[in-house]
Amino acid sequence: MNGSGAVARYTLLELSRRRILLVFFIIGAIGIIALGGGLKVLYQVAASNPQSFASGSVDAATFNHFLELLFVSYVFQALAIFALLIAYAIGMTAIYHDLDSGSAVSIFSKPISRLAFAAGKILAAIVGLIVIVGLLALEARAVMFLFGGGLENALTGQLLAVVANAIVVMLIVLSVSTWINNILAAVVTFIYYNVVTGIIATVHMLADGGLIGNAAVRNVFDVLYWLVPHQLVSSAIRDLAKAQIEIAGGATSNQALASVPAPSGAGDIAWWGFTVLAFAGLVYYAVRRRQV
Amino acid sequence: MAGVVSVQNLRKRYRRRDPWAVDGVTFDLQAGQAFGLLGPNGAGKTSVVKMIAGLLRPDTGTVSLFGSDPGNAVARKDLGFSPEDPDFPKFLRASEVLDYFASLLGLDQAERRRRIPETLAFAGLEAERRQIRQYSKGMKQRLGIAQAILGRPKLLILDEPTADLDPMGRRDVRALIERLKASGVAILLNSHLLSEVELVCDTVAILARGRVLKEGAMAEVVPEGSNLEDVFVRLVEANQPQRDHLPSFISDTTP
Repeated sequence: MNGSGAVARYTLLELSRRRILLVFFIIGAIGIIALGGGLKVLYQVAASNPQSFASGSVDAATFNHFLELLFVSYVFQALAIFALLIAYAIGMTAIYHDLDSGSAVSIFSKPISRLAFAAGKILAAIVGLIVIVGLLALEARAVMFLFGGGLENALTGQLLAVVANAIVVMLIVLSVSTWINNILAAVVTFIYYNVVTGIIATVHMLADGGLIGNAAVRNVFDVLYWLVPHQLVSSAIRDLAKAQIEIAGGATSNQALASVPAPSGAGDIAWWGFTVLAFAGLVYYAVRRRQV
Repeated sequence: MAGVVSVQNLRKRYRRRDPWAVDGVTFDLQAGQAFGLLGPNGAGKTSVVKMIAGLLRPDTGTVSLFGSDPGNAVARKDLGFSPEDPDFPKFLRASEVLDYFASLLGLDQAERRRRIPETLAFAGLEAERRQIRQYSKGMKQRLGIAQAILGRPKLLILDEPTADLDPMGRRDVRALIERLKASGVAILLNSHLLSEVELVCDTVAILARGRVLKEGAMAEVVPEGSNLEDVFVRLVEANQPQRDHLPSFISDTTP
């Protein structure tokens, strides 16, 4: 598509100069190092004290592994939060700034189609998100070697899920901010994605786990579940929970893991793909309809 | 002469209950012609040029730009548009904005290397290293004109091009219009500076409340011994309610 490459290139250049993204990245980077470093210091303090592992219930290697699991589970949460923040920050500005400032008047009077413009913006937004979250994950992966490593694949799997979920959020904000004010767009997206969708997904999960007996409610939420975006979850979340329970000496029964989200299946991934296409289409439709 | 723009019975309103912003406007613009679109604030001039540039969709009527619908990207290939109050991606620099727009215009690397420094020099922005967000209105206006001529357009639309310019900037824009007109470029000029329009345009249309009040060659519209400002004020005042020119508290003799 003529011009979409130029739109993507210069949108990325703009994103690279935006302080808010830099601030999110720096806070995230410092947080990951502080967390990893803090847990490692905790281990060193424990290991340096001969009394620590004297009882024999936990040895130094198990304790180290437990700290690594703890670190990784915190990193998962941190990545999910920062990916969402970055998705909101990019989604609220990538198209809205051009429309709001009047830049779009000069851009749209050039021989570029609205489809190429929307495609370029979406491409830049996705690349920007992947680069920033990817760098944070890379840093987390490096910090994991403080504990000896071994959970890198879990991190990669969950990183993919986190980025995939953030892309959906970003596309929703991008499309809504083409119609209305960007702050309002973020609020609408938050209510839709994080509240409404979150409630539907949770009730659906509980119903699936047999915790809701009423068949009518189960059926309603079965239908609703397939009307909203599905947050993708990697198998790492459950594996991590299982490993933590085992270290604590518990039995990893299905009941113990019922409240931990199961890994997304092929249906969820296909639904994610459809959702991405649908919201990307909505972005294009909104840009196409927009008169400047 | 080849038809560059043809506007037929154009109508546009922004909301259903609003009055027509543009109401039955019709005119043609040929190559090498400088057409002045005049009118008081809210007359519909900017709406007309935005419909010609494919930025707004008319409710009824048709716009033809180089024989095509301006909503079609290819039709805008030979269009240069300098908007009123121009703005640009605020974290970019002037040279980057021009490179961005040159890419959208499909200019190759060699042509970009040649045109961008010259265009920046014309706009007086060749030494400027700051990002657009730090620009004054006048600097944005100069960049607005620069990006409009970057693609060597066959139609140049200038919407209030000199509103924020200093006298030297105005002189440069006037010289630019004269030069482009002489080389066969069609010019569509929206301006409140009637003396400037009188100097550079050979055809004018005067709009009020979205309607064309008078249109024709400058010599027809402005009779011998009169000037464009007199004609404009007379026409516009005859077509809209008289206003009290000063608020009463200003006229009060006691403070």
